Amino acid sequence: MRKHITLGLLATVSCVAVATTASANDKLVELSKSNENWVMPGKNYSSQNYSPNKQINIDNVKDLRAAWSFSTGLLHGHEGTPLVVDGVMYVHTSFPNNTFALDLNDPGKIIWQHKPKQDPAARAVACCDLVNRGLAYWPGDGETPPLIVKTQLDGHLVALNAKTGEEFWKVENGDIKVGQTLTQAPYVIKNLALVGSSGAELGVRGHTTAYNVKTGEQVWRVYATGPDADVGIGADFNKANPHYGTKDLGTGTWEGDAWKIGGGTNWGWYAYDPDTNLFHYGSGNPAPWNETMRPGDNKWTMTIWGRDADTGEAKFGYQKTPHDEWDYAGVNVMMLSEQKDKDGKMRKLLTHPDRNGIVYTLDRENGDLISANKLDDTVNWVKQVDLKTGLPVRDPEFGTRMDHKGKEICPSAMGYHNQGHDSYDPERKLFYMGINHICMDWEPFMLPYRAGQFFVGATLWMYPGPKGDRQNYLGLGQVKAYNAITGEYQWETMERFSVWGGTMSTAGGLVFYGTLDGFIKARNSDTGELLWKFKIPSGAIGHPMTYEHNGTQYVAIMYGVGGWPGVGLVFDLQDPTAGLGAVGAFKNLQNYTQMGGGLMVFSLDGKSPYTDVSVGEYKG
Amino acid sequence: MMFDKTEVPVRPVRAPLTSLLTLAFCGLALFVPAANAVNTAEETEAQKVKRYAKEAADTSILRICAASDELPMSKKDGSGFENKIAVALAKAMGREPKFVWYDKPSIYLVRDQLKKMACDVVIGVDTGDPRVATSKSYYRASYVFIARKSSNYDLSKGWESPDLAKVGKIGFTPSSPAQVMMEKLGLYQDNLNYMYSLTNFKNRRNQYIKLPPQRMVNEVADETADLAVNFAPEVARYVKEKDNLELVVIPDTNVRSDGESVPHHFDQSLGVREDADALLKELNTALDKAAPEIQDILKSEGSPLLPQPPPT
Repeated sequence: MRKHITLGLLATVSCVAVATTASANDKLVELSKSNENWVMPGKNYSSQNYSPNKQINIDNVKDLRAAWSFSTGLLHGHEGTPLVVDGVMYVHTSFPNNTFALDLNDPGKIIWQHKPKQDPAARAVACCDLVNRGLAYWPGDGETPPLIVKTQLDGHLVALNAKTGEEFWKVENGDIKVGQTLTQAPYVIKNLALVGSSGAELGVRGHTTAYNVKTGEQVWRVYATGPDADVGIGADFNKANPHYGTKDLGTGTWEGDAWKIGGGTNWGWYAYDPDTNLFHYGSGNPAPWNETMRPGDNKWTMTIWGRDADTGEAKFGYQKTPHDEWDYAGVNVMMLSEQKDKDGKMRKLLTHPDRNGIVYTLDRENGDLISANKLDDTVNWVKQVDLKTGLPVRDPEFGTRMDHKGKEICPSAMGYHNQGHDSYDPERKLFYMGINHICMDWEPFMLPYRAGQFFVGATLWMYPGPKGDRQNYLGLGQVKAYNAITGEYQWETMERFSVWGGTMSTAGGLVFYGTLDGFIKARNSDTGELLWKFKIPSGAIGHPMTYEHNGTQYVAIMYGVGGWPGVGLVFDLQDPTAGLGAVGAFKNLQNYTQMGGGLMVFSLDGKSPYTDVSVGEYKG
Repeated sequence: MMFDKTEVPVRPVRAPLTSLLTLAFCGLALFVPAANAVNTAEETEAQKVKRYAKEAADTSILRICAASDELPMSKKDGSGFENKIAVALAKAMGREPKFVWYDKPSIYLVRDQLKKMACDVVIGVDTGDPRVATSKSYYRASYVFIARKSSNYDLSKGWESPDLAKVGKIGFTPSSPAQVMMEKLGLYQDNLNYMYSLTNFKNRRNQYIKLPPQRMVNEVADETADLAVNFAPEVARYVKEKDNLELVVIPDTNVRSDGESVPHHFDQSLGVREDADALLKELNTALDKAAPEIQDILKSEGSPLLPQPPPT
């Protein structure tokens, strides 16, 4: 059902896009302000995952009960969180990436469902389980109906009519045949649908692409590596911080043509500031993954970007981990806040807990580095980040290199923080972060075979960090409340497994999150005190959301264990070094939870549409 | 499953001094699963080391490092052509051939078996392989194209053959000279997916995945692919079985985009530990003595044997 338009029309379409931007954008911003909606995975463009709703609060959260539930019918990992717009909930799933629309007045009835047929090869090239991270919503403009934009693992981006579920357009964003998959939640800015790419494992060249949300026509595409024109390096790039690097580094920091298969994909979360018109995300790890095969800084992998939403042009780029040696793919969540810095100056900030164990805060207008602190004092590959140069001061003992077995490297390749979507409470000025507490041994090797063949690889062992229980492989996670200005942690607590999915916070003084062993928990935002928990059917690797419907506040979370920590469980792997060591680290997970995907929704006293028992009854 | 027999805790209880020791043990246990036929679950590391030393000193046997399942080179039933060469050599030396079978791919033989004294000779290493002391070379072989005769490609100019432009899917081995040339010619990206399909899309990131030569050959024969590139001894046996296929030797004139040479012809030798001078001498003598038999074995494989350059 893709609309075909001629080249001549393309220009017109772009003009229309610019002319109507304000209204479409404002509409999404307006929708995101309402407690009744959750229009994008991070609630709003600032990706704060924070609701001002106080109906559920520290005093009554103990009365939170299950209101209703929904099974997606699929196993494998369910990352992300559903969307709610105008009384309809949109639920995504793991591969084959089905989508369901549910009527919040009677969620027992599926309004529509979209079940795509996909290239089965997608299943085979996916790196770490068959996850998907969610949906995007575009509110419509009178001519074009509201759309749900989704990704398919086989590299397609699809727009559905939000009212009917019919495919409105479908484009191939990446070629599955060269290992390009899609697991990300797309992101809508104005009349553009943005999407990254996955598959750095297989030596692809990562890109970010904007499509005209009404037609599916490509508007721009920028790469993480290569010539400046391809990367979208503008004339003023890094003007405020030239020491981050400026021209010709997307090729100059690589040996030969290695940038062509240099990785730098991005499959994490985006954020956007309508005032600066910049959007922010992180590009991922360089490829091939063995560092000896790609000397140089490998720019612009592992980079926090500030790019113009209309053109993709980069205003700033800060590379966190030059020449990555640990697979610290830097795609994690970007949370936007407005805070006073240490000198009392009000700043527009961006905060990013990175895989590499550092939580970075930048001025999102110019890229200035405001703070860079360890997510946990056990991070050891880096001693500190020099705020003047922006460079990590490495501890060579914990590097990885050929003929050396790196031991006790913290964090592990999973990072102290991975794909989880965290939250920011603007009243308390605290970031609530779900953390992996996992370290590793890493032994790279190169084995020559005969006739000039060789095999370069590494063996990874993962295990709990120093604060965990290494004898029993427990104590693999933490939750922390972080102040990005002071660098202090107001509270922190250990968890049995990684807090993989992230957190959601509310003005009710609560922080919600799901655990891999299958609980949703609520803690006191100020103290971290555990106030409520509920055992959900399977482990959670997504983040909670909240919405109000007909005057009742609900909290929802998807369940369905899987993802990288769950690869051993979902694929029944035994070798402790498989799944890059995840199988060993999470070997006890199977004693706590099993596969199965779905959604649980909670409210005070379990109030739901079905409290009125006549709702949804058969009236024959 | 590789670790069935050795349920080793990946990470023992933390104790600064012992943890290092235990780790070292861990590494050993993980990399040397009980593949040796004589090995038993009860044998300690120390006992094993002692046994290896005793066996290595025994001149009545020739301990051959061999992969259990890596045809056409080696297989536990002795059907690999390198197994046959080993038997011929042992006979020429007046020793009893003793195969030390290893369940992991032969790429691990030198590191995990030969160097750990589990066995004493590896059949089939590149002459001059820096990890070992190599014998005189007993044959020279090349990378070859495998094509269907009916395709009528002219591949006589190797990687410079204009007909390469007509070819659809090409099977190749990652991290081999073929990959280097395909990258240079812009063929690598187009064939990446097909190459991964040959290993069922398994991730090679932290495990070695052997690309099965027989499957590579069969897929050219059944027209799944149009061409395959491999080292002749790896594929000759299977090409010989297919009437519709031919082998074309790739000339050894290849250079990378930066001008550095990419060898495609390799002399093959026996490999022993660097300090095994006496054994190496004995093996060199045996190579001369068994030469006619070895030549017969190689010829029956069907691998094009190239003239060997005079020893330097």
